[in-house]
Amino acid sequence: MQILRKTDQKAYAKAKKLGPKGVVKILKDKGLTGRGGASFPTGLKWEMVLKEKEKEKYIICNADEGEPGTFKDKFILVNNPELVIEGILIAAYTIKATRAYIYLRGEYEYLENKIRNVIKKVKAKTKSKANIELIVGQGAYICGDETAIIASIEGKRGQPRKKPPFPTVHGLYGKPTIINNLETFANVPLAILFDDWDSKLTLFSLSGDVTKPGVYELPVGTNLRKLVELGKPKHKVKAVYFGCFGGCMPYSNINLTNENVCGKDCMLGAHTIIVVDEKHSIVDMATNVAKFYEFESCGKCTPCREGTMRILNILENISLLEARKRDLETLQELAEVVKETSLCGLGQTATQHLLNALKFFRKEFEEKCR
Amino acid sequence: MLNELRKIQKKHGYVSEDSIKKLSKKTGIPVSIIYGVTTFYAKLHTKPTGKYIIEICDSPSCYLNGSLDIIKYLERKLDIKSGQTTQDKKFSLFIDSCIGCCDEAPAMLINGKPYTKLTKEKIDKILKKCKS
Repeated sequence: MQILRKTDQKAYAKAKKLGPKGVVKILKDKGLTGRGGASFPTGLKWEMVLKEKEKEKYIICNADEGEPGTFKDKFILVNNPELVIEGILIAAYTIKATRAYIYLRGEYEYLENKIRNVIKKVKAKTKSKANIELIVGQGAYICGDETAIIASIEGKRGQPRKKPPFPTVHGLYGKPTIINNLETFANVPLAILFDDWDSKLTLFSLSGDVTKPGVYELPVGTNLRKLVELGKPKHKVKAVYFGCFGGCMPYSNINLTNENVCGKDCMLGAHTIIVVDEKHSIVDMATNVAKFYEFESCGKCTPCREGTMRILNILENISLLEARKRDLETLQELAEVVKETSLCGLGQTATQHLLNALKFFRKEFEEKCR
Repeated sequence: MLNELRKIQKKHGYVSEDSIKKLSKKTGIPVSIIYGVTTFYAKLHTKPTGKYIIEICDSPSCYLNGSLDIIKYLERKLDIKSGQTTQDKKFSLFIDSCIGCCDEAPAMLINGKPYTKLTKEKIDKILKKCKS
């Protein structure tokens, strides 16, 4: 696996030779893009912060891997954490950062000591003086959003705000800030050091109704069937979920590119694939995902706070065989309103799974309605 | 502040009104703000919790691998509902959105340590170990 290659911290030395502008150029030329879900070009993001004239600048490594079904960042932290720290140190050198923060999700706190030791080790080896602080999240999915993570580090409720201004201009404590996903930071040293580094290779988290779940490193654009077959499904596969926020679609013969997946109103996001076989009901899946959103909605805007709750109520009624067919119309309408009027990414994607389920698997819902 | 609140949660098992007032005095941040932050995060509790905090995962991946049965079994064994603490103050049970052990589902955390590929038999053993 490419992500398991060791750099022996030689990428940091090379970055220093290249200089800040050289680092930005190499990341742009090699085509590294963000691995958190938005695929924003990393070199461009760093350049934007580099160009800001503020003295204080910050870095945040988003290790708040909260998307259900996603465990690729944990895989890196367990198997090759040195890469992540080296990537952060390179970023700190590039923009002369005041401080870097690693925002580790609370559920991974058992990795805390290991990470602290690796920070010490890599800093000693690179002779970097950069400050890295570890913050352990306390269980809020919304803190994966970049403006919410900023609020959380600042000691506030982890609620998102409207963009623009973007964090590259107005980030942590109002200063220019680089926020990248952990997998992105891990790829920085690899992209800088190795000529044969492949920008297309990415980590897929495969789980659900498969006998061999796990992290698979494959190129973007890999065929869905090929990936799912690697997981050796137990029964005939019916659908796949791209985490909770990415929506769901019928199992089909498509290549996993953003364009293909978006064409089905889904999002590839952090490359999370949850496999659902014919033994499981989509209504039950929808209820499970709706429960997640009802719990994780931060409560700031009304459509998301109230909408996710009402949607869960209706879905539970359907599961209990107490709903009528016309409730499906209400469900559809609610899902559309939440999608269109919510403030942040969480609310805007909270009902995509349901809209797709109602589109592709409507019969399953109707069968449970009077 | 999050790290401060985490320390209090770890030391006392919950973030009490008293500790919020103390933190407010120390930092100059109003009590209302600290209380607001505390109640925002699922892992910070404002009521006392048991010696063992069980966070059972109910993500889609765990759900597909039978987490509902595991949750029901735990609730029956401990004789509490999720969100509650046993009378002997030994166990608190919470449902977690996802603990990132999706490739070893179903899974749970006890005081932050993961237990994976859960079965009823495994749960019996783990609870027995906690009780002794």
